Amino acid sequence: MTSLSTEEAPRRFLESDRAHVLLVRVIRIAFPHDTLPVSAYERTADSLLNLAVQTNRMTLAVANGLDSLGSLPQGDFLGLPDDEAFAHLKSIERTEFFTFVRGNTVLTLYNLPEVWAALGYEGASVEKGGYLTRGFDDLNWLPDPRVEEYSGELTRVEQGPLPYPVKASRRTEADEVTL
Amino acid sequence: MTAFDHDDEVVVIVGSGAGGGTLAHELTTRGIRVVLIEAGAHIRLEEHVNDEWEAFGQMAWTDPRTTSGSWRIARDFPNLPAWLVKAVGGTTTHWAGATPRFLEHELRARSTYGSIEGATLLDWPLTLAELAPYYDRAEIALGSSHRHGRPAMAANNNYKVLANGAARVGYNFYATGPYGTNSEPYDGRPGTIQDGFNFQGDRSGAKWSTLVREIPRAEATGNLDLRPDCQVVQITHDARGRADAVIYLDADDNLHRQRARVVAVAGNSIETPRLLLLSASSRFPDGLANSSGHVGRHYMRHTTGSVYAQFEHPVHQYRGETMAGIIADEARHDPDRGFAGGYYLETLALGPAFLAAFAEPGSWGPDFTSILDGYVNTAGLWIVGEDMPQETNRVTLNGTVTDAHGLPVANVHFDDHPNDVAMREHGYGQAELLYDAVGSTSAHRTPPYPSTHNLGTSRMSAKPEDGVTNAFGRAHDVPNLFVSDGSVFTTGGAANPTLTIVALAMRQADHIVDLFSRHEL
Ligand SMILES: Cc1cc2nc3c(=O)[nH]c(=O)nc-3n(C[C@H](O)[C@H](O)[C@H](O)COP(=O)(O)OP(=O)(O)OC[C@H]3O[C@@H](n4cnc5c(N)ncnc54)[C@H](O)[C@@H]3O)c2cc1C
Repeated sequence: MTSLSTEEAPRRFLESDRAHVLLVRVIRIAFPHDTLPVSAYERTADSLLNLAVQTNRMTLAVANGLDSLGSLPQGDFLGLPDDEAFAHLKSIERTEFFTFVRGNTVLTLYNLPEVWAALGYEGASVEKGGYLTRGFDDLNWLPDPRVEEYSGELTRVEQGPLPYPVKASRRTEADEVTL
Repeated sequence: MTAFDHDDEVVVIVGSGAGGGTLAHELTTRGIRVVLIEAGAHIRLEEHVNDEWEAFGQMAWTDPRTTSGSWRIARDFPNLPAWLVKAVGGTTTHWAGATPRFLEHELRARSTYGSIEGATLLDWPLTLAELAPYYDRAEIALGSSHRHGRPAMAANNNYKVLANGAARVGYNFYATGPYGTNSEPYDGRPGTIQDGFNFQGDRSGAKWSTLVREIPRAEATGNLDLRPDCQVVQITHDARGRADAVIYLDADDNLHRQRARVVAVAGNSIETPRLLLLSASSRFPDGLANSSGHVGRHYMRHTTGSVYAQFEHPVHQYRGETMAGIIADEARHDPDRGFAGGYYLETLALGPAFLAAFAEPGSWGPDFTSILDGYVNTAGLWIVGEDMPQETNRVTLNGTVTDAHGLPVANVHFDDHPNDVAMREHGYGQAELLYDAVGSTSAHRTPPYPSTHNLGTSRMSAKPEDGVTNAFGRAHDVPNLFVSDGSVFTTGGAANPTLTIVALAMRQADHIVDLFSRHEL
């Protein structure tokens, strides 16, 4: 059984459909969202492959990383159930290949306007007059709070404990902190 | 456009941000000729973009820097220790606007907190009473809401969650400010349109920055020669040890020399010590103004962290003024909490692009994607508190890595002090209680971002052996050399630093004018 990359130079492998399909699956398993269109993952894979071929180092790392997904002991990565595919990525998360995919997916996938739309983010607003009349204060499941500074009888404490009750998280014990 | 000659004896200011832009404005409006040299470009309002990465790429200082130490930044963002801007207006173009003042005891941290192991605490050579009139002037310049008749900022959705949570856990001292963006038209600039892009350049002009206020006004005097795209790489001195010129690179990498009667450095707390160290000479072998050895040391970045909490209902945190929400109850010195000093809790919002990059760097898988899936229903806040100055938290010149000009880059070394860790943990805990009180279904603790507050690397001290400058930011070693940015902070306090940087620059300007009139400079 010969894999593509032994027959083709790594750079040509990265330009193949097989590399693209493998990378899309890696990204979908690593960054699973029910709401995102498949096209967002495909565009991300395209940009990562374009980025990888810019340098020999990343060409080698990514081509090798993707190619080896074809001949896992469990079979082809494309055929694995999602949980096994995830477990495999976990086992290679420190590799240069996976670090490249993770880091650049974070920068690319979440910078796509179609992903923003799917997540409910509205993006640039200045051209539309901001959110002044488009819901910057439309939250209605809580009462409208005070916007002015406190003007009651208490004075602000600058040193020492508060003279009014405040719910407090666990105090850090003295032996955990050197003062 | 005013242009002075390279041989004119002018005041040279390095850097046009909060400190340098303010100083240039104060001096030029009083008839003093200033050459303001800025490494970044002059980007106009209409060029600003509502896009997180694009705005970052357009304006941030992305020239290489290196990191070391146990802080997580050294692992996650090894070449991006800080989020700073390289452009006319400096980081005030990307600042949000929170403008609390220092508390009285925060200027006396050593006396108040006592001796803390590993910390190099020192009292400021300055009291709050001396600073107070300048705080007033700074608040008026920035147009801080809730101050001097400026109205409160309206509540956006993220603030509604913060403030209701605050009230339910028992906090009292919360409000939508003080905040240096116009809630209504003021000072010739419009009121906010709540566009939500406050960590980016502001197209509307509602947000204060030296780009929209101090620099155009200084230019209008005819006393300002602004030189963008020029990076100062050395300060030279005469035989008496007085600064006499700066050497700078223009956009085409040509070196120029500008004569100076006074040099004021305001490159922010990483580039300022780098420039002083690059200016070492046979007379100042360890760097200019560094006979004490304190240049670059005691680097502070505030103890920070964020909490992003999800709810069953929409929040749309990204709409409206990002940081117009401040809780002050924890900004007090109360060692019963297990640490010295205090912290504020402030609203903070990121778009999905930055949330993905910063919420949990290095993370992936369903735990990570659930943070993004709940985006619309997420509220966010930021913890910002005093961190301990330490001798070894330090900016140095990297011996091997150089920038595009072939000059050694700054290395930023940072280790958290146990006090910083205890404070951050406390802040995370309080933030979770606060959001829990208004029904959060989950909360995520986000580690500190690349530092937006950079302080302390040329600190003020009463005694020359304890620091780099005196109470006016004047170098102990070089009488006509000033430091005019947050590097001079003796300790960090809990307050976001810009208001204090502006107040100190105004005070320094008065002092320089006074020294000139008495022919002592
Ligand atoms: C996202 C973000 C949000 C913030 N929000 C707040 C807030 O709400 N409240 C608050 O108080 N603060 C806030 N800050 C911090 C605030 O921006 C800084 O405190 C302030 O801008 C620092 O002023 P400065 O004069 O020290 O330096 P800067 O404003 O950084 O200006 C330094 C300038 O010097 C230039 N320079 C450096 N070296 C050289 C050289 N060798 N030659 C020529 N030019 C040089 C740089 O290019 C830069 O333009 C925020 C910062 C960020 C990034």
